[in-house]
Amino acid sequence: MLEIGELSAWYGDARALWDVTLEVGAGEAVCLIGPNGAGKSTLVASVAGLHASVRGSVVIDGVDVVGLPAHRIGGQGVAIVPEGRRVFPHMSVHDNLCLGAYRRTARARHRQTMAEVFELFPRLSARSAQLAGSLSGGEQQMLAIGRALMALPRLLLLDEPSLGLAPVVVDEVYEALGEINGRGVSVLLVEQDVDRALELSARGYVLAEGRMVASGPAERLRASDEVRRGVLG
Amino acid sequence: MMARGLVGIGLAVAALSTLSLYRETLGFPIAYLALLTTALFWVTQATSWNILSGYSGYFSFGQAAYVGVGAYTTAVLFGRHEWNFYLTVLIAAGLCAVLALGMGLLAFRLRSLRGEIFALLTLAVPFILAALARINGSIDGGQGIIVAIPDFPAALGRFQDFLYLITLLVAGIAVAVAFVMAHSRSGWALASIRDAEDVAEALGVATFRHKLWALVASAVIGGVGGSVFALQIGFVTVDSVFSLTVPLFVIVMSVLGGRTHWFGPVLGAVLVVLLQDRLSAMALLGWQPVILGAVLIVMILVAPEGLYVRVRNLWPRSRGSKTPPADLSEVDEQLSVVDDSVLVECRDLSKHFGGVRAVEGLSLQIRAGELVGLVGPNGSGKTTLVNLLAGSLRPTRGSIHIAGRDTTGLPPHRIAHVGVARTYQIPRPFASMTVRDNVAMAVLFGREPRRLAHARRLAAGHLAMVGLDHLGDAYPSALNLHQRQLLEMARALATSPKLLLLDEALAGLNPAEIDNAVEVVRRIHASGVCVVIVEHLLRVVRALATRVVVLDRGSCLADGDPETVLSDPAVVRAYLGKRAHA
Amino acid sequence: MITIQSALTGLLLGGLYALMAAGVSVTWGVLRIINLAHFGMILISAYLTFQLASDWGLDPILTLAVTVPAMFVAGGALQWAYDRLGISELNSLLASFGLLIVIVQLVSNVWSADFQRMSAAVNPYATASVGIGRLVFPVTTLLAFLVAVAFIAAAELVLRRTFAGRALRAFAEDRTIASAFGIDHRRLGIVLGGLSGATAAVAGMLFALANALTPATAFEWFGIVFAVVILGGIGHLTGTLAAGLLVGALSGVVSVLLSPAAAPFVLFTAIVLALLLRPRGLFVRAAQ
Repeated sequence: MLEIGELSAWYGDARALWDVTLEVGAGEAVCLIGPNGAGKSTLVASVAGLHASVRGSVVIDGVDVVGLPAHRIGGQGVAIVPEGRRVFPHMSVHDNLCLGAYRRTARARHRQTMAEVFELFPRLSARSAQLAGSLSGGEQQMLAIGRALMALPRLLLLDEPSLGLAPVVVDEVYEALGEINGRGVSVLLVEQDVDRALELSARGYVLAEGRMVASGPAERLRASDEVRRGVLG
Repeated sequence: MMARGLVGIGLAVAALSTLSLYRETLGFPIAYLALLTTALFWVTQATSWNILSGYSGYFSFGQAAYVGVGAYTTAVLFGRHEWNFYLTVLIAAGLCAVLALGMGLLAFRLRSLRGEIFALLTLAVPFILAALARINGSIDGGQGIIVAIPDFPAALGRFQDFLYLITLLVAGIAVAVAFVMAHSRSGWALASIRDAEDVAEALGVATFRHKLWALVASAVIGGVGGSVFALQIGFVTVDSVFSLTVPLFVIVMSVLGGRTHWFGPVLGAVLVVLLQDRLSAMALLGWQPVILGAVLIVMILVAPEGLYVRVRNLWPRSRGSKTPPADLSEVDEQLSVVDDSVLVECRDLSKHFGGVRAVEGLSLQIRAGELVGLVGPNGSGKTTLVNLLAGSLRPTRGSIHIAGRDTTGLPPHRIAHVGVARTYQIPRPFASMTVRDNVAMAVLFGREPRRLAHARRLAAGHLAMVGLDHLGDAYPSALNLHQRQLLEMARALATSPKLLLLDEALAGLNPAEIDNAVEVVRRIHASGVCVVIVEHLLRVVRALATRVVVLDRGSCLADGDPETVLSDPAVVRAYLGKRAHA
Repeated sequence: MITIQSALTGLLLGGLYALMAAGVSVTWGVLRIINLAHFGMILISAYLTFQLASDWGLDPILTLAVTVPAMFVAGGALQWAYDRLGISELNSLLASFGLLIVIVQLVSNVWSADFQRMSAAVNPYATASVGIGRLVFPVTTLLAFLVAVAFIAAAELVLRRTFAGRALRAFAEDRTIASAFGIDHRRLGIVLGGLSGATAAVAGMLFALANALTPATAFEWFGIVFAVVILGGIGHLTGTLAAGLLVGALSGVVSVLLSPAAAPFVLFTAIVLALLLRPRGLFVRAAQ
């Protein structure tokens, strides 16, 4: 589904990623863990085409998308749930979701998809006409995930979905993520909450200071000291 | 430097005055004198515009307001009521000062004011004044006012000579004021506002006051120029003085010449007036605005910095290239013993953004000798706390005392003068200044302000402290990220702070650079500055901090010495996830 | 009675201000371009209407068949250029100020600086009026009002109910995320620029129906229209309409109660106050 090869990224002249390699198989859930500032968000943004200064390859279903403008990459079946949710605050929940289905392929089915999203997140359904900016943090996160699902992705990129949320809400979000993955959507999950992330995913990668320092099956990473050191510094 | 420049301007004025005083001896045609008078009027106006808009970056479309107020003051009082002409010039200056104070007090108090809104606001002012003049019979009433020729010493020759000399005098004063401002604290303050206003404020620049005075200076010069302009045109109408061509001309002239430099508008004004003269000589007067408009568009797109700056940059810089000897004496003498007194005291501090509680009920004491590592997951309120301490944000609830003073709600520059300095996650140097001047700037406006020469010497010392002394003459654009972050630290140090807030000052560095930065922070702490460092890399925190404070969802989760805190199960959980202690 | 009549006439005239402001407001709000050249496009359209009606005897309203496509292309091309040049918000203000000056002078070189008006023979609308009770309204004013209301209502509907409209609003709020969901900023800019050009064509035609033309009028619009844009809230169409009507009614009343020349004074004072008190616009709810 997704193959990242020797990816490097820069902010101006500051390098954020050093030759990172990563793979997500079809239907697989993979997590990317590491401390703040390790470059996890940069990696996700690079895959989605939101980060301009990139070298290496990002192959999605056989197509190398490095250098494509962001609005064309989504056409490859990728949708992003960005860090900090970034819902459109002055638009209603309903309009936020519709926007997710902006692409022609998704647009035709948008009513049906929306019904599915509401089934997954009943709380959103009740607030459909409310402005997104007035939702609580947890609801905004659900909206951001719902918006991405509206694009009918085959690969979902999630950047810290637990950020700033109370533990009960995180439980709810992760339950939904498990269900989404269960339907066959591949997931690349960036997370600080290592245990949650490893619980959802089959495999994981550890990124520290812009470099990939460990990878492997979830159970092994959970037991590993490397991860602990990687994250705690 | 300053004295030499002023003498130069004085000599230029004297030389130009001979063209009139010895006109007949020199055989200088009087028609050219008229052209020069026009050029000098525009030099005055463009310089006036540039003092606010060029130096500080707040674009104004309101230049016609000053010309109009000046011209009408003289037209009404001198032209109609026959007061003393010179007195009316002073009154015009006073009225413009009052107008500018009113505009500035209203506009610059707005927290949400942006450059575009300011520009449109200034656009409205001449419209209001023009309407006022048109409807008010005691000002104009739509008729226009004839301005007679005032008495002047017969020795000056004809009226055209008198007009030329007085316009020259006004232009000379305008340029001298612009020159002095550019080379004084005020010029530095305005340049820093243009480059990064909130950084300047946090370094101790009283941005509101400097903007206000620049606006007043600009208005007074514009008004005096307008007052003399009334004589030049002889018949003052609303359309002739309040027209939109005034802002068009001054903007084109300043943008063309270069708006960051005092000489730019002079050059631009002369070029535009000459161009205008050539066009009318070729009977192309109808094309003149077309060409000026096109010049404006092209300059904005191609060389927004202006011709003067462009041309000057072609030559290697000679000015300021000699490195002043570093002055380490004061830096060293600050080496003090470990100080145990309470420096920072937050009580029940909260900050809410809409429904989000970024900081909630936080109480915290920091002692003068400490180096505190502030850690916590993303979104736990670390940066918000830094912003609260530095005054960039006002708390929703609670109080902050620093060095015994209640700083809650003080503007950032006042807090800087209490002794707080900060760096930014993404370095924000003043792009138009050299590395050394970035630091000298902070000394100029810091807690213990110094004269420029002294400030530059001290700056060299601060640069040495962070290991950037070899790059003093470079511009920030030539620095890499690590060096820019070190520059942030040197600049913060230059305000001679008691408390230094480092907000992710090591983000994005490679391991070698991180080690170097750690060394620098340690050195800064050893020089007697209390440091609070926000940092994600726990190995850095371990290496540096004498104490660690962990925030989680806006509240303090743990507080104590690094080893104990970082192995606290609750902290590990906050970082690694809920079941990590297992 | 006279006060009510002039307040209502002013209100109707306000529709035209709102129509002129709509294009400026939307390109500013969505694309972050302050396009002063918009007034130049309105001016050119007004003159084209005048020229086509006078020379070819076209019904002035039918001249839209020429001016709307022409201005659509011009507006789209202009936004494309702004986008290509990567121009910032403040620089767009300066560059388009230059462009406006160029356009006004070119218009004055082509059509002269004198006042010109379509003759009654080609423009039957200028003299017609409609009476409602004891109130009388010129057809041209009524027409401008109706067109403005219809246009803004339609645009608002498009913004709320269609995918393209939602894309526009999303783009205005967060262009990065919007692009991740497939919104192409360049195409959006061209289409939006084109549409705002088309409104300029309509506004120009409506202005030419009722008024004598002179190139300097562009500068007179300038102040009032910006007032409407800012009072209405940048990028908010319904707010723009409301602000246009309010400004129109206010200047109508002031003209009668004080004097026509006092209208701009009262108006701009109101604008300055509004800017200072509600910098985000009169009709915009505070964020969140």
